Order: sequence, then structure tokens, then C-alpha cells
Amino acid sequence: MKLSRRAFLQTATLAGTGLAIRFHLPAAADAASPVFFEPNAYLRITPNNVVTLWVTRSEMGQGVRTSLPAVLADELEVDLARVKLEQAMPGVRFKGIRLRTSGSGSSSGTFLALRRAAASAREMLVSAAAEKWGVDRASCRAQSGSVVHLSSGRKLTYGELAERASRQSAPGDPPLKNSHDFRFVGKSLKRVDGPAIVRGQALYGIDIRVPGMLVAMVERCPFLGGKVATFNGSKALAIPGVRHVVPVKSGISTGVAVVAETTWSALKGREALSVQWEEGPNTDFDSDRFAQSLRTALTQEGYPIRRHGSADKLLATATKRLEAVYDFPFQAHAPLETMNCIADVHRDGCEVWAPSQTPETAQTDIVKMLGLPPETVKVHTTLMGGGFGRRLFVDYVHEAVEISKAVSKPIQVVWTRTDDTRHGFFHPASVNQLAAGFAADGHILAWVHKCVGSPLSMFGLPTEEEKKDLQRYAKEGSPWGAFDNPYNFRAMKVDYVSVDNPVPTGSWRAVEYPATVFARESFIDEIAHFLGKDPLQLRIDLLQPGDILDLGDQKIDRRRMIRVLEAVREKSGWSNPLARDAQNRRWGRGLAINIYHAGSYIAQVAEVSVARDLSDLRVHRIVCVVDCGLAINPAGLEGQAESGITWGLSATLHGKIDFRGGRAVQGTYGDFRVMRMNEMPVIETHILPSDARPGGFGEHPVPPVAPAVANAVCAAVGKRVRKLPITPAELSS
Amino acid sequence: MPTFVLTINGRSRRVTADPEMPLLWVLRDLLRMTGTKYGCGVGVCGACTVHENNAAVRSCQIPLSKAAGKSYTTIEGLSPDGGHPCQKAWIDEDVAQCGYCQPGMIMAAAALLTQTTNPTDQQIDAVMSDLVCRCGTYQRIRRAIHLAARQGRKA
Repeated sequence: MKLSRRAFLQTATLAGTGLAIRFHLPAAADAASPVFFEPNAYLRITPNNVVTLWVTRSEMGQGVRTSLPAVLADELEVDLARVKLEQAMPGVRFKGIRLRTSGSGSSSGTFLALRRAAASAREMLVSAAAEKWGVDRASCRAQSGSVVHLSSGRKLTYGELAERASRQSAPGDPPLKNSHDFRFVGKSLKRVDGPAIVRGQALYGIDIRVPGMLVAMVERCPFLGGKVATFNGSKALAIPGVRHVVPVKSGISTGVAVVAETTWSALKGREALSVQWEEGPNTDFDSDRFAQSLRTALTQEGYPIRRHGSADKLLATATKRLEAVYDFPFQAHAPLETMNCIADVHRDGCEVWAPSQTPETAQTDIVKMLGLPPETVKVHTTLMGGGFGRRLFVDYVHEAVEISKAVSKPIQVVWTRTDDTRHGFFHPASVNQLAAGFAADGHILAWVHKCVGSPLSMFGLPTEEEKKDLQRYAKEGSPWGAFDNPYNFRAMKVDYVSVDNPVPTGSWRAVEYPATVFARESFIDEIAHFLGKDPLQLRIDLLQPGDILDLGDQKIDRRRMIRVLEAVREKSGWSNPLARDAQNRRWGRGLAINIYHAGSYIAQVAEVSVARDLSDLRVHRIVCVVDCGLAINPAGLEGQAESGITWGLSATLHGKIDFRGGRAVQGTYGDFRVMRMNEMPVIETHILPSDARPGGFGEHPVPPVAPAVANAVCAAVGKRVRKLPITPAELSS
Repeated sequence: MPTFVLTINGRSRRVTADPEMPLLWVLRDLLRMTGTKYGCGVGVCGACTVHENNAAVRSCQIPLSKAAGKSYTTIEGLSPDGGHPCQKAWIDEDVAQCGYCQPGMIMAAAALLTQTTNPTDQQIDAVMSDLVCRCGTYQRIRRAIHLAARQGRKA
């Protein structure tokens, strides 16, 4: 079908939303060339009645390709099965629309904008039908992909109305459907890509093939801050299938690329490379010593993050005091699909296929790298085998573009597992110190929290200025979990001390929450033990009077948190204590909570058992209760809860990255262990019904896991664990 | 380079390549069958699991020279239409998140069910704990295997 050219763009702002949407309208709708209805960037309806949704976030397992069609179908009034999916690409069409997938915002952050876009389209289709029939538009209704004239029963499909609808003006503030009328939103939907996945037909970045493509493997400098001194590629070039050996400078670590006909020949070629490294200034960097230096920095005056009352004075004069320090190690993302990217730098521009959480950054960077006009740089976002924050960095895209340019061919850069584990943007190690002062009656007078770590930049390495700019850091509500502490204390002091390190660090699932919430929720448990109070009831008491905690951009509803706590009390059987001795092991329950950016509320109860000789810890059950506002796809949320909890368990029981001599030590799933099936607890997820705005969820289940487990360990054996991971050595130390 | 003949999904394939090239890359790079995934290359994650005579094997650990003359089934050939009880159960239990590990998981589970038609949780653990899912879909994988076992018995 020939489509008429979209000849002009008209920009309109939907009243009250600040959401700018462009309307692509045909210049002239001559009868010879049928037009499609494309009222905004999100959707298109063609005369043959196909509805296409552009998915504006990357699919990495969180289910955005399943949830967004439900949102569109509901608000547009079309059957879900009719919605076809396209992946949004950076460019003029999506200007002003965020494509970056981060902060657990794929569904929650798109929800309202997509509803408005779909509602606007629906209203224009109704207007088109009314105009065609010459009737009042109030007598027409959109339903199941058609507009119906109620009194006469006349009916036109959206496809039949597409051309006329494209000539309607967009309503400024289209009415949104009442949430009680949703047909798809709020119902459990199975993953759209499921059938392709189980047949091996789902294409991830690493599965894409383009004609004439070669495969590149990069030998990267193993030393933090080191670089290539010299290299000799002659032996590599002698390996059959190896075509080029070129230096690479644009990635996270500089290196030498071997470009070959197959992945295997690239690997063999890389083994045959001879490279001398300039080891750089960090060869004495050691993560154990760094952990010590974080503790040493606790004596430094911190930057004020959140303060009220005279916390220091009240702490100093308190009748009783409690203090504890908690350690969190460096962590890797280790998604199952390693980093990879195809780049084809050609005469007329550059085309890239990237499993990326941030295609717009990829495009902007390529434009800068190659000095090309943006419209000649095409970035395709592929499915990805896990993102978890690692793919917010586009270092592997840089590499692919640089190599393709150097060899003038399309290439796919593929990282090995070890490359992926050792050359990441790691979650930074940190130390959290907590102190509380009590009145004689046990009332908490003061809460003092000092965080020591390395400030994160979410979307790239922080610049030197950013590292020092703690004002910006605090202003953005960091560190998460310490700043947005929901409890009500008479006096409070939260400070931050920044300690620089040479490790590239970045956002890791739940970003700053895992470390700070481990400390905060463990310490609350310590207080409960200290005061002889029930840890669940103590939390409810500390959330009184159940008001709104106003932290500027964040308004925490303590009532919602209390409701979740009451629910977890019931669902976990909290009031019926476990038998402490059974099966020759000690058993215990632990609780932890968190609030994700004031939008989602969660509580988890972990049940563990510990061998009597402390040689072995098992997590048997985790009960998870959430209120994350309206659940767009409850089945998806349940999956995300299981996923986030498993992620949290990997970090709690196994995960850490060590640095020795300025090099990352762990390399595969053999030494960077993640949870396996035989270690898994039963996970029970309960989603509380809510009409509140959808909150983020992908990261939300991670932070409470470690403290819930640590608190359960303490309940079981009386041993307080303040350092992750909880290895058998840590348990019996 | 020598030429080898092996059978993939019932079809005889001639491959001219380095005898050391692992079956994984033969499948992915030479035969353009990308359903079998690369996860670690050292046999610790199971993403590359295929069948050799109905038994689950790691294709990243089998050099082409050893694969020659043998017959393999990959995820693409597990069923003609996605109708294997495991594939159906994986959909029914909505197992996949990112989905990258799932072809390997399904191949391992299908081989398990061939040998043990009604596996216990312990028997499932014994086989499936050798595979990694970073998204943490293990609970659903377990349910799907039990479901597939029930469906398989009915069939």
C-alpha cells in the first residue's frame, strides 16, 4: 500500500500534562493514496485496520511489551490481539519522549502519557464518525476497534475512519477512561514474547545478523585505569578467519580488537594476540583495603543529606545508645546475554543494533563520535537478555562503532562472560553507620545515619565535578533509602561522606537502596531486639501517626506502608512464631520494608534455617506484600517480585566482586555465584489492590531481601550479620 | 579446513570449519540457528543446552570434531510447532522474563522428562541447578516442569 508522505509536523501540547505530542498529518489526502491515521508518536492506524503501537522503552524482561499494549488497547477501545508492536527508535518522531529504560519506570512512567495519546486518538476517531454520519458525536461510542452510532446501530471500523480521523483536530484534554472500566489493565496477561522465546525464535542483540557482518572480540586492559602500551597482531592475523586487528579506545577499557569471520575465529585470534599493558596508577587497588578506608572515613564530617532536630546533642545525652556499621561489597550485573552490539558505519551514516536501555544516548554519542547528522544515525533497540542497569551504559556501542569504522564493514562486537564480569560498571562498595539514642522509657530520641561511598551517576561515569558536587547528590534525594527513610524520629541526621575509587561504578538493580536499606532495616531490627519489642510492631509505631511525610519531590504515605505491614503480618503468619529448633537446625523469621521513591510500598518476611554449627544457611520462604498503586499487569508484577527477590538473594548469599592488584578477580558464574534452583525459597507474592498511580516495581523487591534474611538469621541463632554476602565464613566469624 | 557431517534436527549438515570450533558456534555462526544461546562458554550456565540422543549436553563444550557423525536436536527442532509439553507448560506458567536462558532451560527439562517422566522436586533440582537464570524464574520453571510432566502423562 502506498502511503502519502507525511508533509508537515504540527506540535500541540495536551492541556494540563505538559506532554508535547506531535501530530503527523498528511498534507493532502487525495483519494488515490490512502492515508494512515497517526495522531502522535505512539500509534498508527492504517485503512486495513491494523493498529500499531510504538513501544517507547526497551524490553529486558520487565514486560513492557506486554503491559503497554494493554494500556493502549484499553484507552483506544480496541481488542488487545489487534495491537501490533514496533520498537521506538531515537529520532525526530520521539523527540521529547523518553526512551531510556531506568528507575523502574517502563510501565509506570509511560502509563499516563500513553493513555492520553490513545484517548486523544479515540476522540478523533469518534469525531470522524460523527462527521461522516452527520450526527452529534455524543451519540457515538468507540468500542472494540469501531465507532458505533448508538441509536441507528451504524458502525465503522477504525481502519475505515483512519483517513477522516487524520483530518480532525486533536482534543486538548481528552477524557480518560474510568479505571473501573478497564478491560485489560489490571488483568493478568501472559508475556507477549513467550511463544517466540520457547521456540528459540526471539531475537536478542547477540542473535541479530546483518549481511557481510564480521565478529569482533576485544582484549581489554585488565588494570583499572590502565591502557594498551603496544600490541602485535601478526599471530592473530595468521589464525584462519581472522581479517583485522585494530586498537579500540572508546570503551570502558582500551584494548585491541580481533575482527574475524566467526565468533570462534575471533576468540582464537584474541588468544593469539600479543599485548603489553601500561598498567596505570591503580595497581595497588584492593577491595578489602578499600572497605577499610571506607570505615576510616566514618570519622570525617559528612555532607548534610537530611536533618531535623538536634540529633547529635540528643544522641550524646541519651540514657542509652546503640550503634552499628554495615558493609556492602562491589557487585556485578552479570546479565545472561553478555554485552554486544552491531555497528555498520557506512558511506551515508551509521546503523546500529544494540541491546540497550538507552538508545538515545547511543545515538547522541555516535553522532558525536562520527560527526554525522543525527538523521543518518539509526539505532535499533533489540530484545535483551537482562539489563539490570548495566545496559544504561553504551561503552559497547562505542566499541562497535569504532571498530566498524576502522574496518569499513558491519561488525558485531561480542563480549565473553569474563569480559562482561570484569569490565562492568560495578555497584560501588559502601559502608553505612547507624546510631540511635533512647530515653529512659525506650523512646527513640535521635537517629544518626552516616553513609560512606562513592556517589553514583546513573547514566555515565560521574565527572570529577559531579563526584564532588554532593549538593546535587543530596538534592536528587540520594542516597536512596537513607534520604527517604520513612520513619518518624524526633531528631534525625543523615550525612554522606564521599570516598573516591578507581572502579567504574553505575546503577545496579535498585541502585543505592540495597546497601542503605540493608543497614537501615537491620538496625531497626537491632533496636527492636535492644528494646525487647516486636520488630513489626516497632515499625508500625515508628510510622505513626500514619501521615504524609513531605520530602519535597517525594510525598511518602505512611498509611500505605502501615497497611502493607499489617498485610504481611497476616500473610506470613508473623503472630505464630516458628519452632526455633527443628530438623536439627535453628529457624527464624525476619522482616524488612522499603518504599520506592514514595510510589511503591513493600514488606518482606524471610524464613531461614541455620545448621547448628553455623556451616550452612538456607532461605526457605519469602512472603512479599506490595502496594505499588494500580497494578497494570499483576502477573508481570508477580514475576518481577520473584525476580527481584532472587536478585536480592544472590547478593545476600553469594555476590561480590573483589579487586586485587587493580584487577577484578571474579570472571564467570563459577566464581561470581548467583542463585541456583536448589537454593530457592518459596516466594509468595501478595499485591494489595490500589487505585493510586502506578509506582515503579522492577527494582522494588530487591532492597528488603538482605535485611529480611539477616534479621531472620539473628532470630534463628542470635548472630547479627552486618556484612554481605552472608557466606558460611561470615556466619561463623 | 576439514569438512564434517552432522545431523541437526533430523537434517544432515556439512560444515567446513576448525575441528575445535564448539558446536555452539557451529550452530549460531555457521548454520545461523541462534535459538541456542551463549551464556558463559565454559559449561557453567546451561544456556547452550541441546540434545544428543535425547540427553542434554552443553554445546559450548563439544568441539565440532566430536560432534561429527552425531545427531543433535536444538530448541528449533524440539517440536515442529512449539507443541512440546515443556514449551506449552512454559507458556501456561508464564515462565520467561528476559527469556534468554529459557531455550537452554527447556532443553534441559525436556531431557529430564524423557528419563524421568514424573520427577520429584529433588530430581528437578539435581538437573536444573546446573543452569543459570539471572532473572530468577526458577519457581516458575519448577512449576512448568511439573505441569509438563502431568501433560506428558496424559498424552
